[in-house]
Amino acid sequence: MSAVEGGVGTASIRADAHGKVTGLARYPGDGVPLDALHAFTVFSNQPHARMLSLDVSAAEAAEGVVLVLTAADVPVNEYGLTKMDQPVLVGLGGTDRSAVPADVSRWEADHIAVVVAETPAQARNAASLIRVDWEQLPLVSTIEEARADSVLLHPEDGTNVYYELRIVKGDVDAGWDSADVVVEGTYELPHQEHAYLQVEAASAWIDPEGRVTVETSGQWTHEDREQIAHALDLPEDRVRVIYAAMGGAFGGKEDMSLQIVMALAAQKLRTMGISRRVHCRWSREESIVGHHKRHRATIHAKLGATKDGKITAVEADVWLDAGAYNYTSNKVLGNAHLSVAGAYEVPNARINSRAVYTSSVPGGAFRGFGGPQGAFAAETQMNKLAATLNMDPVELRRINMLRDGSEGITQTIMPAGVTLPQVIDACARKANTALPIATFASIASLPEPEGEVKRGRGFAAGFKNVGFSFGFPERCEAEIHLHGAADDDHPSEVEVFHSGAEVGQGTHQAIRQMAAEATGVPLDQVRGTFSDTAFTGDSGSASASRMTWMAGNSILGAAEEAEKAWREGQRPAIGKFRFTPPPTERLDPETGRGTPNFAYGYMAQAIDLSVDTGTGIIRVDRVVSTHDVGRAVNPQLVKGQVEGAVVQAHGYTLSEDLKVRDGRIANPRLSTYLIPGIGDVPEVVDSVILELADPLGPWGARGMAEMPYITYAPAVIAALHDATGVWFDQFPLTPSRVLAGLKSV
Amino acid sequence: MTTYSTTLSVNGIPYSLAFDASRNLLSVIRNEVGLTGTKEGCDDCECGACMVLLDGHPVNSCSYLAAQATGKEITTVEGLSSGDELHPIQRQLLDAGGVQCGFCTPGMIMSTDALLRRTPEPTDEDIRIGLSGNLCRCTGYAKIMEAVKATAVELSGS
Ligand code: FES
Ligand code: FES
Repeated sequence: MSAVEGGVGTASIRADAHGKVTGLARYPGDGVPLDALHAFTVFSNQPHARMLSLDVSAAEAAEGVVLVLTAADVPVNEYGLTKMDQPVLVGLGGTDRSAVPADVSRWEADHIAVVVAETPAQARNAASLIRVDWEQLPLVSTIEEARADSVLLHPEDGTNVYYELRIVKGDVDAGWDSADVVVEGTYELPHQEHAYLQVEAASAWIDPEGRVTVETSGQWTHEDREQIAHALDLPEDRVRVIYAAMGGAFGGKEDMSLQIVMALAAQKLRTMGISRRVHCRWSREESIVGHHKRHRATIHAKLGATKDGKITAVEADVWLDAGAYNYTSNKVLGNAHLSVAGAYEVPNARINSRAVYTSSVPGGAFRGFGGPQGAFAAETQMNKLAATLNMDPVELRRINMLRDGSEGITQTIMPAGVTLPQVIDACARKANTALPIATFASIASLPEPEGEVKRGRGFAAGFKNVGFSFGFPERCEAEIHLHGAADDDHPSEVEVFHSGAEVGQGTHQAIRQMAAEATGVPLDQVRGTFSDTAFTGDSGSASASRMTWMAGNSILGAAEEAEKAWREGQRPAIGKFRFTPPPTERLDPETGRGTPNFAYGYMAQAIDLSVDTGTGIIRVDRVVSTHDVGRAVNPQLVKGQVEGAVVQAHGYTLSEDLKVRDGRIANPRLSTYLIPGIGDVPEVVDSVILELADPLGPWGARGMAEMPYITYAPAVIAALHDATGVWFDQFPLTPSRVLAGLKSV
Repeated sequence: MTTYSTTLSVNGIPYSLAFDASRNLLSVIRNEVGLTGTKEGCDDCECGACMVLLDGHPVNSCSYLAAQATGKEITTVEGLSSGDELHPIQRQLLDAGGVQCGFCTPGMIMSTDALLRRTPEPTDEDIRIGLSGNLCRCTGYAKIMEAVKATAVELSGS
């Protein structure tokens, strides 16, 4: 417990919750001024087609219409978080300042126009008057079709297989020679929709300083600002991005949605002498059709071991369906690549991972960032190996797991603080509390219940990096003001300025608590100013389980600077700090050698389930979710992340079944794409939280928000095998898939 | 387009309003009355974020014609707390940590209020049924469940 009231380790009540329970919290879309204009974004509805002509004249003439924006209005018609491969507006004409051909729609949700009108209904109505002629282009529907390269979605890249990573470690042939057993599998992983409850919304205006200002929800204010400035061809300080309260993100708001087009609309209205705000809110259907998904993937994996269970070799081929545009596919691929061999000592490996363009919805960031896909293959392979060797799956992990000083799959020593052994032990111990502890079978099969219901237990373990990898220039800024009288020894009040995006996870509360701890001022005297590029510095993104770790380190630095100024007599004493973690490296293109990350979090899960073999319905009875979080800055928020991540993974594993047919999403509704409701969730989620300090983490904290997600699907698959004797290499485990799988044996 | 003039009673306050007869109650509460605590998550009876009470019964306001609410008492999340005093379910949600992004929260609160009026001592199954129309993507529901149970105990005094 902290010596500072409300400091690190306190389960304080989050400051923003009061407004959220009373209805006063303001999300984008709340409190839109009565005189605001309303925008409608017009989707192409063309998965792959070339625009031949575009006629917006009838829309422009329609009642209430103020403005219709098309490609010709975009100064630099391109954007993309890690690769500028998407036009802001697909269309004809323009400034020729982008290398991306703008006349081709590669995705049903590419935008062709933005209509601004007096009312939402008028904007929508006018949009229906837009006339477009398209030349249909062939679709690339599957990863196989993409690999064939007979149709190129981005001819400028020369191939659909546009991003590739390799690992060649040791001598794989020798590894197979020394293997007594080999397990092999091909795994098909589904898309997943984020389904945050608050759909995309934004308002834009020109602020009193003349800045193009966008208020929205996102995950990284400064990145949004950079991309807006690029497309509008403005200096960054002429653009301002503000985040209101946010109704969830989970990676789904990492990339642009309304940011650029709304900024463009405000800028255009200014040139027309109109100073009214412009507002836009997507419908649920627009949201599901219009933003990226967790990547669909195909993974082929091969694992060899001695009869004693020691891993001798791993081979894997990872294929990610990046869809129409890159988004963060290169980063997601990196994580799948690093995790597909598992958190184990692997002497010999050959891993090839590739992202391919298809005419499907783009794949992008979603809690775990490729980690879940890689870990699914790795852990299912390990569980199959355990079954083949008739060995306890926990014991198999103990034999092979990474430890402090272990060499990772990228042929460098893991960053210090590898606590996987402790995490696995803690999970196995907790999972066994209801059963007699057997020394060998620590995850023994559960006793058989009567009738058609069968019970099973499964286990999985893993790791996930904290922060951006592969040489990305990681940074996080914080500013702290200490207030008090000139002759006070200690400050009485603290102000913290931070951009860390509050997507619902509680990061602002964690930032407040860390500011209290770092300055010694009680939490109730800490005020925060958050997520407004006019006042707060670049924090980096609220993703990759990085924000607590990075923000904490930035706050420690800022507090130290402020403390110095305080001793020098400055009032308020101001400290600014830009934290940079140890540098990481790109992997060697041939061998994959390198140090890709500076920190990791470790997790293990044990899952008990019941399956009705008559109906195929699975009920998860208990989840033991074990995590080394280094230091729980707010234990209640940490548990909330565990429970929430587990249930999101539960939906991914059991019910969420996005259908993409001919490049179009066929079930873009919450009534046809089924996320878990309160009656669908695991019966019991036991969070086991370890606090084994990360050597570089602030107060020892590690990242943790993605970790409980990553091992869930493979643990369920193992439990289902334990119950039925059948391996499922595909999910979601809908009742019909389960029944079909049981019949096939 | 037919304009409909009526008086709607929201949280005990009468509002004289004129709106298109096809408007749903959610948009009238949010845009005409100006209370934005009630959220829209789907506009099609799928998520429960827009839940309000009509004469104490939970209704998805996105899929209910505003004109039909004439003569009924409409309660929104803003009507539950009195001054600084939170309603027990609001306070219990804070204490349990049942609020993350908070976008589902107003709807959850309204459904809980209706449930506990109907069933003051609910079983776990009663709670699951009572909140089955309210989706939450953040919390995994465990802490919401905890808060509802604690509220039931507090209100029924058992
Ligand atoms: S907005 Fe009414 S149920 Fe979703
Ligand atoms: S708290 Fe985010 S949807 Fe429930």
